[in-house]
Amino acid sequence: QEVDMQAQAENIRTVFNDPTNFNVKHPLYSPWTLWFDSPATKGRNLPQTPMTSFPQTPVAQTPGGVAAQGWMEDIKRVITFDSVEEFWGLYNNIVPPSQLPQKANYYLFKEGIIPAWEDDANKNGGKWSIQLPRDKNRSVVDKMWLYTMLAAIGETFDPLLTSGEGSDSPQSLITGVIVSTRPQFYRISIWTRTAPTLAGGDDDKLRERIEGIGRHFKTQVLGYPESQRLAGALATEVEFLSHKDSEKKGKQAKKIVV
Amino acid sequence: SGAKGQGIPAALPSALATARIIEDIGSIQYPEGVKSPKPELNVNAKQGKFRYDRDFLLQFMAVCKEKPDSLPPLDAIGLEPVDQSFALTRGGSHGRRSSSTA
Repeated sequence: QEVDMQAQAENIRTVFNDPTNFNVKHPLYSPWTLWFDSPATKGRNLPQTPMTSFPQTPVAQTPGGVAAQGWMEDIKRVITFDSVEEFWGLYNNIVPPSQLPQKANYYLFKEGIIPAWEDDANKNGGKWSIQLPRDKNRSVVDKMWLYTMLAAIGETFDPLLTSGEGSDSPQSLITGVIVSTRPQFYRISIWTRTAPTLAGGDDDKLRERIEGIGRHFKTQVLGYPESQRLAGALATEVEFLSHKDSEKKGKQAKKIVV
Repeated sequence: SGAKGQGIPAALPSALATARIIEDIGSIQYPEGVKSPKPELNVNAKQGKFRYDRDFLLQFMAVCKEKPDSLPPLDAIGLEPVDQSFALTRGGSHGRRSSSTA
């Protein structure tokens, strides 16, 4: 009660002091945009609502966007937000992954980055991902996706940022996170701005940083013991693959596993 | 439980729109029982560039329930629960709206 009064005296009201009349909000490290696609979004001609409340999908703003135009055609922009409070308003009013149709994707990316390899922020990057059998994980996928989003918007994936080392905070390596639903499995992915070439030398530092993200994902976000092996029928380890290697479709693909 | 914020009047979006951005996260005093963000995440934080741990963020789940003004009608983009009966038969057991699921 004492704290409440003090906060009021200073005229600072968080959403915890007053859920309807708060006057400060918690800014996110970066603004984020949520995108969605499913077979049901294909060919929909939008908007049916006023332009202001339903921004068009900005496919061609960057050179990468032009290249990705076909890919982005059916991916719908849902909302952009920049505060903790707005994130939860969205979360509490949207469909969780366990109730999405069987070929759907949520893409949560930093504002200005489209969820495509071609975007400048993604083209030299890669992704950590895990594939989970649908039947066994339907009851936990929602929590896994929530925790993945919270680590993304809270900007706690990147160990170098979290360590507080150095005053010139380096650029975050995370560009976005994705959950995909398929008839047989779920997949959750973390996209990074860069990818190690696995060539050694200077690259080792980057590899260490990328591996830190993967370990955090596996142990803190998904909740697995670090030593647990996860691969099995329809399931993969937590593994990293650069987008360039993904394009090679398995040939010479150099995976990192944590 | 499971209610979609019917108890909260439509004032939240306007509060969201008019609320100021917190500039100094360390100066905010939360009501008793509400945890502050872990200070070590924001040692060198520049203005408005804050990091938040999961336990801190989860505290907002039960409080911020109002649909954002800028959220389009979900059915317009084909974003609908695949199985309404699934929500009825199984939905209660998922703990999606519980903050103590860790």
